[in-house]
Amino acid sequence: MPEQLEKTVDTPLKHLVNPAYEKWRLLKDRLARYGVVLGGLGVIVAIVLIFFYLLYVVLPLFGSASAREIAQYATPQQQSGKSLLLDAEEQNEVAARFIDNGQIVFFEVASGKVVSTETVKIPPESRITSIAKGSTVSQGVVAYGLSDGKMFIAKTQYKINYDNNGRHILPTTVYPVSEQPIIVDEAMTALEAIAVNLSGDTVTIAAKTAQAVQLVNINQEKSLFSDEVKTNRTVATIDLPADKVEKLLLDKQGGHLYVLDKTGMVYAYNINDKASPKLKFQQKIISADAKVSSLVFLNGDISLLAGDSTGQITQWTQVKDALNNPVLKNIRNFKLADKPIVAIDPEQRRKGFIAMDDDGAVGIFNTTAERELITLKIGESRPVNAIVSPRANRLLVESADGKMHHWNVDNEHPEVSIKSLWRQVWYESYSKPAYIWQSSSASNDFEPKYSLVPLVFGTLKAAFYAMLFALPLAILGAIYTAYFMDPKMRQIVKPTIELMGALPTVIIGFLAGLWLAPFIEKHLAGLFLTLIALPVSVLICSYCWQLVPQHLRQKAGEGWEGSLLIPAIIIVTWLSFTLSVPLEAWLFNGSLRDWFNNRLGIGYDQRNALVVGIAMGFAVIPTIFSIAEDAIFSVPKHLTTGSLALGATPWQTMTRVVLLTASPGIFSAVMIGLGRAIGETMIVLMATGNTPVMDFSVFQGLRTLAANVAVEMPESEIDSTHYRVLFLAALVLFLATFIFNTLAEVIRQRLREKYSSL
Amino acid sequence: MTEQSRTYAIDMQAILRKQDGYTNPMETCIHIEHLNLYYGQKQALHDINMKMGKNQVTAYIGPSGCGKSTLLRCINRMNDLVDSARIEGKILLDNENIYDKSINVAALRRRVGMVFQKPNPFPKSIFENVAYGLRIQGINEKRILEETVENALRGAALWDEVKDRLNDNALGLSGGQQQRLVIARAIAIEPEVLLLDEPASALDPISTLKIEELINELKEKYTIVIVTHNMQQAARVSDVTAFMYLGELIEIGNTSQIFTNPKKKQTEDYITGRYG
Repeated sequence: MPEQLEKTVDTPLKHLVNPAYEKWRLLKDRLARYGVVLGGLGVIVAIVLIFFYLLYVVLPLFGSASAREIAQYATPQQQSGKSLLLDAEEQNEVAARFIDNGQIVFFEVASGKVVSTETVKIPPESRITSIAKGSTVSQGVVAYGLSDGKMFIAKTQYKINYDNNGRHILPTTVYPVSEQPIIVDEAMTALEAIAVNLSGDTVTIAAKTAQAVQLVNINQEKSLFSDEVKTNRTVATIDLPADKVEKLLLDKQGGHLYVLDKTGMVYAYNINDKASPKLKFQQKIISADAKVSSLVFLNGDISLLAGDSTGQITQWTQVKDALNNPVLKNIRNFKLADKPIVAIDPEQRRKGFIAMDDDGAVGIFNTTAERELITLKIGESRPVNAIVSPRANRLLVESADGKMHHWNVDNEHPEVSIKSLWRQVWYESYSKPAYIWQSSSASNDFEPKYSLVPLVFGTLKAAFYAMLFALPLAILGAIYTAYFMDPKMRQIVKPTIELMGALPTVIIGFLAGLWLAPFIEKHLAGLFLTLIALPVSVLICSYCWQLVPQHLRQKAGEGWEGSLLIPAIIIVTWLSFTLSVPLEAWLFNGSLRDWFNNRLGIGYDQRNALVVGIAMGFAVIPTIFSIAEDAIFSVPKHLTTGSLALGATPWQTMTRVVLLTASPGIFSAVMIGLGRAIGETMIVLMATGNTPVMDFSVFQGLRTLAANVAVEMPESEIDSTHYRVLFLAALVLFLATFIFNTLAEVIRQRLREKYSSL
Repeated sequence: MTEQSRTYAIDMQAILRKQDGYTNPMETCIHIEHLNLYYGQKQALHDINMKMGKNQVTAYIGPSGCGKSTLLRCINRMNDLVDSARIEGKILLDNENIYDKSINVAALRRRVGMVFQKPNPFPKSIFENVAYGLRIQGINEKRILEETVENALRGAALWDEVKDRLNDNALGLSGGQQQRLVIARAIAIEPEVLLLDEPASALDPISTLKIEELINELKEKYTIVIVTHNMQQAARVSDVTAFMYLGELIEIGNTSQIFTNPKKKQTEDYITGRYG
């Protein structure tokens, strides 16, 4: 054994090295390198994929509509007479044509094949003089005005049956009010224009004869105990010269009657009391050289759309003027072409409409987004009638040459445009354009308001207040800990603060929302007093400490004097909150909150930016503190000693050398903190009240992009506009953080190049 | 003169030409009396007594860990930054005890400048580095700053090399230039004493030579104390040499005497290279 040992020791090193081991070593090195490269590339690929997925979901929002003709056929039963109206049903299988002889022809949309024909029971001695769709459009109510002063209400119904051959749609006609004609004009003169509103057992009819405009209200009350039906009928006359009246419109809420006269003047009557309609206001809706050629309600019966002889379509909505009087306000204009508008048909579930002109041009528009989505040219001859299907995915146009054109329309997201997302939009019934986020409601009439501005504003506001709270504390704390604190104390303080960062944000949010928010609401004055008293008392304590003799200070533990502040802080905070009660009573009549509200007009929300600032600041402090502290602590000692040796005081050294050298690190600490504050979700979700208001007040709530996605994503229908807009919010957040971080990194690199320490 | 000392190729002629600085100083500038320094329980300096003359170069030599840097740092109270350091005794600068309670440490350090082993320019421009000492004294007048910076850079023999790029970052200079910049920074505030803590040990031979020439020039204006590991350097630049060993001052005397005729056996052993 000893010989062997000697022998191995004598062997030169190059013989001792195992070539296999050498290979294995190189292999490990290479594997590690590939692993790192692969991991890095994986991260980049993942981020790029996320970006493209978001983009993939968002992009359809900005595409324009497309349409193609899928069928063209001769108008069914053209020989029977002229079409007065068209109707289409939900499944795009059957449509109806209302002919001027009282026939209703149901035909297959795809081929024009007649399915069935019904005839409205018009008395033989009278004929149809006017027709109108009921204001509850989707239910298919049609009112016929007759030449003998009577009227007739018919309603189409499409029953769906399933058998072995699949789905069958069976169109029928019913008479919702009565199978007999209803007498409108006692004088038996022809009804030249008519409007009807049918809701429940009440039917309201506005009709114009050669002599007068009349408002008839019929209410059928069924007795609870017998089948007896009691009919109440009121008749009122509108005091307008009948010969001038052109068109009548009744809104579905039953509150307004709009009358258009030949000069383009619209009179709005309040008809809540059916027996005595009152003129609310009148408004000219047309310029002198044009003529109104079409007037309809936009879906929801709040806005009026007026098409004129110059090809312009104007949108009018009721707003309150400066004197709080209701007026009709022109909020938006559209232009189809230069030819007169023939007809406008509103979509049934969105704030969109189609308009046709004399020349056969058909435009599809959306009012909220102020977009003309597509313009089509249909047929050679001028269109006479058109209908948008209930789902707004088909278009049926009848042209003057006796043809029906069936178009497929792909128009999924008309309500979004750059303007509706980022600019002020004048929504229906609003007195002025505004930035509003209000994405959903229970009814189809609702105008979705997808402005991202309040959300971006809320995000920045939350981040601003959080940084306002966190930055001074974190940076000053980092400076003290890294530069002035005793190393032993630093060893305790630093990990403790970093531990704060490990606290789940849901707990912070929970505490902020359920404990801090009510606490601040109750002790607002105390909080403000603490904010003033704490820094002052810390300064006073530090000054007093300087006066304590050296030997006493050493006894108390040099370097640990910072910890002596803890009881001082506790006492001052407690005193502030205790003293604030009498102080508040003395200075602010007992409640600072009410004082703000009554004296300064600053409203107070319980969950507000102050709560978020503190809670999110608390969450951000550890991040900023930790990075900034590392940066300051790693400033080389030879730079500080160099500065001190030149006669600089420690404070001068800190401000002129240490902070300068640590500036890249401090900057990135601030940026990372800011990035976290912008992307933070749980705390803002629980502590802000999620009110998407545009108010910078610290006492008002807010809604951030991240919280908005979290709140609304579960309730949005997949691939709907709402769903895609939420993805857009996520994309905006993603891009903002990406740009922010990239910018921060570039600036940091520059700073580091300039101030890199040795 | 022993055989061994010759093997170190010390320029004895040059040493012998030096003045009799220690025995007949023109004026005492720094007077260290009974100085003891403790790091916690451990004593690092034992009862040091020495005088350093005005406008003389005093070199501290001795093996690593003998306390020469510690002693140097006592002169501008840089040891105050070490929490565990405790000092007894006196250091008189112009007959004023710098460890007196009434002394303003920052003001003292302005009077006693210091240059460290490793060049430590601040991450600022060349101009701002030199102007730093003035700025912290509250002098911000442009004309004065420019004049002082130029004079200091000339004084540190750096002006010609950097005059066209005063606004460049100082970190772009070479090691030797950085060290001369640091010296310029130190002399810009016109200290009385300049402490050099192994100023050339991190530099190449040419830079070292420049620094040594500079020390010879600076002597005209300042009292210089230099710590060095390099005995040739001590022999070349200093008027007075102090040999320290294990925290004690073994011998101090004219450089020519220390290198040619040391009185203590330990000194002779060290300079002849028996240890150290």
